Amino acid sequence: MGTARERAAAVPVVEVRDVEREYRMGRDVVRALAGVSLRVDAGEFLAVTGPSGSGKSTLLHLLGGIDVPTAGTVLFGGTDLAALSTGERDRRRLLEVGLVFQRFHLLPMLTARENVELPMAEAGVPARERREAAERLLARVGLADRARHRPGELSGGERQRVAIARALANGPRLVLADEPTGELDRRTSEGILDLFAGLNDEGVTIVVATHDLHLADRARRRIELVDGRVAP
Amino acid sequence: MLRELWHHRLRTALALAGVAVATAMLLDMLMLSGGLETSFRRLLSGRGYAIRLAPVGTIPLESEALIPSYPSLRDTLLGIPGVVAVAPLLGANVELRAGADTIRAFALGVDPAEQGVYRILEGEAPADGRVVVDERLARDAALEIGTPVELALAGTLGVERRLEARVGGVAGFVYSAREERVVALPLGVLQRLTGRGDRIAFAMVRVAESADPEAVGAAIRARVPRVEAVTVAGLVEHARARLSYFRQLSLVLGTVATVVTALLVGTIMAVSINDRYGTIAAMRAIGISRGTLVASFTGESLVLSALGAVLGVGLGVLTAGYLEGVLAGFPGLPRAIRFFVLDTTAVTRALAIVLTVGALAGLVPAWRVANLEISRTLHREEP
Repeated sequence: MGTARERAAAVPVVEVRDVEREYRMGRDVVRALAGVSLRVDAGEFLAVTGPSGSGKSTLLHLLGGIDVPTAGTVLFGGTDLAALSTGERDRRRLLEVGLVFQRFHLLPMLTARENVELPMAEAGVPARERREAAERLLARVGLADRARHRPGELSGGERQRVAIARALANGPRLVLADEPTGELDRRTSEGILDLFAGLNDEGVTIVVATHDLHLADRARRRIELVDGRVAP
Repeated sequence: MLRELWHHRLRTALALAGVAVATAMLLDMLMLSGGLETSFRRLLSGRGYAIRLAPVGTIPLESEALIPSYPSLRDTLLGIPGVVAVAPLLGANVELRAGADTIRAFALGVDPAEQGVYRILEGEAPADGRVVVDERLARDAALEIGTPVELALAGTLGVERRLEARVGGVAGFVYSAREERVVALPLGVLQRLTGRGDRIAFAMVRVAESADPEAVGAAIRARVPRVEAVTVAGLVEHARARLSYFRQLSLVLGTVATVVTALLVGTIMAVSINDRYGTIAAMRAIGISRGTLVASFTGESLVLSALGAVLGVGLGVLTAGYLEGVLAGFPGLPRAIRFFVLDTTAVTRALAIVLTVGALAGLVPAWRVANLEISRTLHREEP
């Protein structure tokens, strides 16, 4: 039978079963995913690779509940995301998923610390508590002395570190990163990879979609998508 | 939100200028739509006379017909419950000679003890051998208190009856036009000068505070069928009907100003939001709710509208003052009449309309963007 803790650990962080995703582009229907099944367990560091248009970002969006599949099931912590309302999915993403984008998407008017505070403010964390937490997170990604700088005053690598700190703000079960080194040079990318590896060592579950085979090599597991399917 | 507005300073400044101009126009139209009516009501009720009497079948001040036998009319009126006092009035165009100069003026025959047409600024009330002049006449004819003058009906000075008197006082005349020169003298004196016997043109009736002017007016019409008794409310209603084109003009231009505000704020917000589509999609992706985004963007449009509206109120007051000066040149308008009356109702309405329209204009693009397809937008925005 096992303990409740063991049973919880046995439930994957996120699982997709036979998911398909089609988009209508004018009169055409584009199939981004064509029957993908995947299970991501707690503590994993998974790289999703594949050529442009293979469905990597779409799969990430489905894993994070940003999008819903045309067919198939997405189970997040055992809950079918299709059964949740938009608001409930928003809340789940806010509290349980951290997202990192290729283009960082930081708010240019806010300082690094305020950007990190944003998801905590949305979650209702009191101001003082979230300020302290944001400073801790920035220190964790090596930017303790850049907290009061706006994104425009930071380098690309520093912006991505702020974005990673933001992704960690509400203590997510899963961090999804879509081409996180796509806008960065090799040396800066190494720093980001080290950061992801360090976070994974601390137990954070990470899924990265990337073209970058060097990044993929740093992951503990790797799958490749080709034309919307997992390559054998 | 404020940082976003501050970051795009030029765009914000242009939007504020646009909202301010539209608000100014809206406020001016609101002031214009009720201004004449409000100032007319204030003019009529300012001296405490609730009822005007004119010859039957006429509207006060709009006919040259006269009411005969004033003394008996006065006695009858004072016998009606609720009537406290009667102020008679007779008018005539006259010529006034002071020294070598002759000048045209409008003479008002009044009962100095009971009148509601002037306020003495300097000197004494009219009496036998003593007249009161308005400031313009005093200035144009170089009159001072004690200056001897001669008065006669217009065109008859030197050939007809004339009155010799001295200037006893200078007064502000409530109902006279800006371009008019006015001289007041006792009713009996003007009646003799004009040969109009005991007739008057017009009378104002003071009603007891406890009495209902409409009921007193009805009682007067019943007792004295030869006069028309019109209350202030009745006169205002009459004026209101005559001024409907002002209200229509105000309505059309006010609507234009409101639509311009909506289009302006809506366009600025749409441009501002379109600039941030990718970031907004990312915000939605990380779990920022639609409500938070709608509140943020609506707040931004509200701040824009509020700042523009406050500037617009100031601008509206300035332009109203300028336009008032232009329109004041209309001939025949009493000095106390105002086209634009600034009151809290007009300001509150203008602010409420602009803020509501601004919020709604921001709400539409905000709601649209808050409901964007996150995944497709990210696909589009990310390389």
